[in-house]
Amino acid sequence: MEKMEITLNINDKSREVTVHPNETLLDVLREKLDMIGAKESCGEGVCGSCTVQMDGKPVRSCLTLAVEARGAKIKTVEGLADGEELSDLQQSFIDHGAVQCGFCTPGMLMSADALLNENHNPDEKAIRKALAGNICRCTGYAKIVQAVAHAAEPGDHCSDCKS
Amino acid sequence: MLLPRFDYSQPQNLEAALDLLNAHREDAKILAGGTDLLVRMKKGLIRPKRLISLKSLKELSYIKKEHDCIRMGAGTSLADIISSDLVRKKARALFQACEKVGAVTIQHHRGTIGGNILQDNRCHHYNQSDFHRSGRQACHKDGGKICYARENADRCNSTCQSDGATALMALGAKLVLASKENERTVDLDQFYTADGIKPHAMEAHELLKEIIVPLNNAQSDYQRLAYRSAIDYPIACAGVQLKPSENQKDQIEDARIVVGAMGRAPLFLAQAAAFLKDKSIHDEAAFQKAADACMDSAATFAVHNVGSTLEYRCEMVSPMVFRALKEASQALENAID
Ligand SMILES: Cc1cc2nc3c(=O)[nH]c(=O)nc-3n(C[C@H](O)[C@H](O)[C@H](O)COP(=O)(O)OP(=O)(O)OC[C@H]3O[C@@H](n4cnc5c(N)ncnc54)[C@H](O)[C@@H]3O)c2cc1C
Ligand code: SF4
Ligand code: FES
Ligand code: FES
Repeated sequence: MEKMEITLNINDKSREVTVHPNETLLDVLREKLDMIGAKESCGEGVCGSCTVQMDGKPVRSCLTLAVEARGAKIKTVEGLADGEELSDLQQSFIDHGAVQCGFCTPGMLMSADALLNENHNPDEKAIRKALAGNICRCTGYAKIVQAVAHAAEPGDHCSDCKS
Repeated sequence: MLLPRFDYSQPQNLEAALDLLNAHREDAKILAGGTDLLVRMKKGLIRPKRLISLKSLKELSYIKKEHDCIRMGAGTSLADIISSDLVRKKARALFQACEKVGAVTIQHHRGTIGGNILQDNRCHHYNQSDFHRSGRQACHKDGGKICYARENADRCNSTCQSDGATALMALGAKLVLASKENERTVDLDQFYTADGIKPHAMEAHELLKEIIVPLNNAQSDYQRLAYRSAIDYPIACAGVQLKPSENQKDQIEDARIVVGAMGRAPLFLAQAAAFLKDKSIHDEAAFQKAADACMDSAATFAVHNVGSTLEYRCEMVSPMVFRALKEASQALENAID
């Protein structure tokens, strides 16, 4: 099995890494690039905790080889905040209590971010559909859906919204 | 979960891919989206020495209309199929099936239609980790001589749970298989081996190039049952196609019924479908009779090896077929108006 020198474009930065073909994008992010936002839970495509975006589309990084991610614009949860400043979506997760243990959160954020970039004003059904492949073991789905709805459009549609 | 070791090639065109496949044969596997293959590799169910990636083969990703058919490249993503107006209007069952595959984040952007058809059969005794399987005797599909799903079975009865294959068979689709020396076209309903160990009648050096869906005035529909609709494979599903008679538009001239997730391949149930010939598109009693006949036929193939209990899956075949027939006949009626 040959080693390969590859360049990945992650959060608009070019990163050079040496990988084996059998390393997944998730392995490389976490083990080689110290980007531990994306989480491994099931490792087999079921749970969504490893979700990142490739060219704006949410994908499972546990089922994507790192070598196959060459040429794509990869966005991870680390790419959401601007320095210390959280994105509206991240802040909304905090404000709405959408984070419990937090293990599913990076994946939820990446699926939700991809949705909001395509659809600025999704209804609840669209939000639920976009998040359908992300499992929250703490089962805080209602708050998560509210947090996404609020990030799209702050306002009174969200029952316990403080703003 | 770590992947076993393998060499990786990323051919730049179809010819190079076919050369590689020809050279490595059984040692190689095609990598499309990887959402089926990589899971099986992680579990140690297969250990190909080389993966040949379709990533650079943009020539395998297209949806084209011709006068009598739709042609789709095997590498077309499920997302592209779902967003195609042509597929939605002219091959509705395929649209419905692809839309229901797993969740948006899992398959739709990475998963391809070719990989969907060619995904391996499944069985809850077999699709388990190395560790789980190491604690007991190997079954037929794992290289052993027994079956956990059916007592004394002389062969593997793993289940084909492909949504796409069931819908495409109902639509009368054909597959174009290419190899270095040859290209051949097969009807999807003739593509299965009746052996769950190697369900597809395809050689190791062949590549699925194209899927052809015939165009006609028929209407189709696809219905499926899964536990969590967003992530789970179907545990019973049905694809149907109803063709109206030329001179009496509310009469069925020909029907195709395919039941999926109940056997080693999607089940093409010609007898139950033949019963609908010359029936009115409003004859719900006839739909029910055909649906019940499908349930009886499917029950003889299915074994208890995916999702729910066998009894529940068998019972749900009838409502799946009935609903699909009703929806397709409704579409025929709408076409008359
Ligand atoms: C959590 C989860 C849920 C899922 N749910 C569903 C579901 O509900 N319904 C469903 O149908 N599927 C489901 N799948 C299976 C799979 O994701 C999809 O079927 C997907 O469309 C497979 O496409 P792929 O391109 O990723 O296939 P790959 O994994 O790349 O390939 C699958 C197989 O086909 C071969 N292959 C692929 N393309 C070619 C080609 N052109 N020529 C020759 N061989 C080829 C590969 O070698 C491999 O053996 C699920 C998977 C996961 C992980
Ligand atoms: S049907 Fe039997 S032989 Fe086939 S995978 Fe399941 S247990 Fe193994
Ligand atoms: S870790 Fe990738 S989907 Fe669960
Ligand atoms: S917050 Fe714990 S898994 Fe979702």
